[in-house]
Amino acid sequence: MTLPLLQRFLPACLVLLVLAAASLLVGVGDAGGSEILLASRVPRTLALILAGAGMAVAGVIMQLVAQNRFVEPSTAGTAEAATLGMLLVTLLAPDAPVAVKMLAATATALAGTALFLRVLRAMPLRARLTVPLVGIMLGGVVGAASTLIAYRTDMLQFLGTWQAGDFSTVLRGRYELLWLAAILTLVAYALADRITIAGLGRDAAINLGLDHRRVVAGAIAIVAMITAVTIATVGAIPFLGLVVPNLVATVAGDNLRRSLPLVAVSGAGLLLVCDVLGRVIRYPYEIPVGTVMGVVGSALFLVLLLRRDARHA
Amino acid sequence: MPSLKTIRCRIAALLLTLLCTGPAAAEIPVQHTRGQTILPATPKKVVVFDLAALDTLDALGIPVFGVPAGAKPQSLVQYNEPRFRRMGTLWEPDYEAIDAAEPDLIVVGGRSGPRYEALAKMAPTIDLSGDDADPLGSELRNIRTLARLFGKEAEAEARIARIQAGIASIHEKAGQAGTALFVLSTGGRLSAFGPGSRFGLVHGALGFRPASTDLGAGIHGQPISFEFIAKTDPDWLFVLDRDAAIGVRGQPARQLLDNELVRQTKAWRKGQVVYVEAGSWYLAAGGLRALQATVDQIAAALGGRR
Repeated sequence: MTLPLLQRFLPACLVLLVLAAASLLVGVGDAGGSEILLASRVPRTLALILAGAGMAVAGVIMQLVAQNRFVEPSTAGTAEAATLGMLLVTLLAPDAPVAVKMLAATATALAGTALFLRVLRAMPLRARLTVPLVGIMLGGVVGAASTLIAYRTDMLQFLGTWQAGDFSTVLRGRYELLWLAAILTLVAYALADRITIAGLGRDAAINLGLDHRRVVAGAIAIVAMITAVTIATVGAIPFLGLVVPNLVATVAGDNLRRSLPLVAVSGAGLLLVCDVLGRVIRYPYEIPVGTVMGVVGSALFLVLLLRRDARHA
Repeated sequence: MPSLKTIRCRIAALLLTLLCTGPAAAEIPVQHTRGQTILPATPKKVVVFDLAALDTLDALGIPVFGVPAGAKPQSLVQYNEPRFRRMGTLWEPDYEAIDAAEPDLIVVGGRSGPRYEALAKMAPTIDLSGDDADPLGSELRNIRTLARLFGKEAEAEARIARIQAGIASIHEKAGQAGTALFVLSTGGRLSAFGPGSRFGLVHGALGFRPASTDLGAGIHGQPISFEFIAKTDPDWLFVLDRDAAIGVRGQPARQLLDNELVRQTKAWRKGQVVYVEAGSWYLAAGGLRALQATVDQIAAALGGRR
């Protein structure tokens, strides 16, 4: 990490610590009791950090692999495919442990993402916005299939719980699977240089001696697994993977080895902010973080779009 | 020429005979949630899109022709047999099938209430949706409406009297039983329901003191955390496992609630966590048999400890 980046990374870490402290203090129960703190607040805060960092990293990897700034798991069919996997495994093996369900969701998420990349490859001309539009359409088709199945099997409200991220029932012993997202983030960091080169495009990457196919396969495996583990434990979180990498790119550029730590920390921070807001706005009730993130994320995204266009003009 | 007086007499006599020949020949006006529907005669072919009404009709022994597909409470599973015509679902009636069946009466309510307008064009339709402002009152009124329509008033009144006696006895004990919180679990998430909500019966007619006073009346309740349950610390925790109600095997409510935060509540320590019978609280809530089942379950839970 270069010195100017370190200057941004350390303050970001400090802000994250402050936000984590806020998350530990805000809630319905009396945080003075160590029981509430250990059983509820600490697990919830850790879950938020792990899921936020994971989803932001998944977003930045997708953007490099698809060579498009507007792609993330929820605009590439990945999230919808993972949800379909959760639905199918819940129907076929309802008593399976959550880890097994997560694996099934990973498998469908991989298939969905691979299909998205394949469709992209078949498109000779790619305007900047058609890529996410194709992903959203693909996600729409997969989502429609899920809705039909859920409707027929009385699972619509179940489907809703995976589609809307919510940390309100996170407790000690019920979120630990999310540590997998942290491990995957570390794996992504180890592969960062290769993913960056893959992001230059297939031809450039092969010219530089990279096994493009394998690196892309590894990258989307990481994305699929992070998405699946998040949906299986707390539900989908929209916009995070889109907004955070774009914000970070304005200060840290596209070199994944340099930007990834900042992406992870910022993702965790943004999710913490949204969840604390969701806990405070209708105290003592909750607003699911997925809803808050939908509002905050879309506003940030609009700002990004407008600023970018202003600069290009 | 008969005098005006004789004509009046004859009309009166005619009206009297019309009234006396019973419901088979006379028009029957039925008051319901959306106004009045006039039936030409006692309906024979009845299509029901409301599980509470189906529960009542079944309890009174009135035959039903068509029912919606989908989850049913244990006491009504026989209606999933093929001898009953499937007429779409509670949310989406199969209009073709209904049109072909030419029913004498369609009953909607609750989940199927919004389909009233479309169905009323096809056959005489009544809407027996409950009123969240007066759940018990509207439910009893709906039971009486159906009973009157099919001439089962006496039987219905006897059963209603039993239910009301049960409720009165619960109300008496519940006043001293401490506070209560009603939560619904689905897909590993929780929401709480207060007075005036769809499960407001607990605090209204049954008379349990609410553990949290400012729970609004939202149809899907208020999303809450386990910290909320620990903080409100109710003496009674009523739990509706929605997934079990509709036959989906997710994380059972018992497993979801068995954690260190809920275990420290008074309700848990005193063994006063009541998993309400989902069929009669969620699917067919307000039906004649469902109400009795509700009363029996809560009375039993209260009866153990006085």
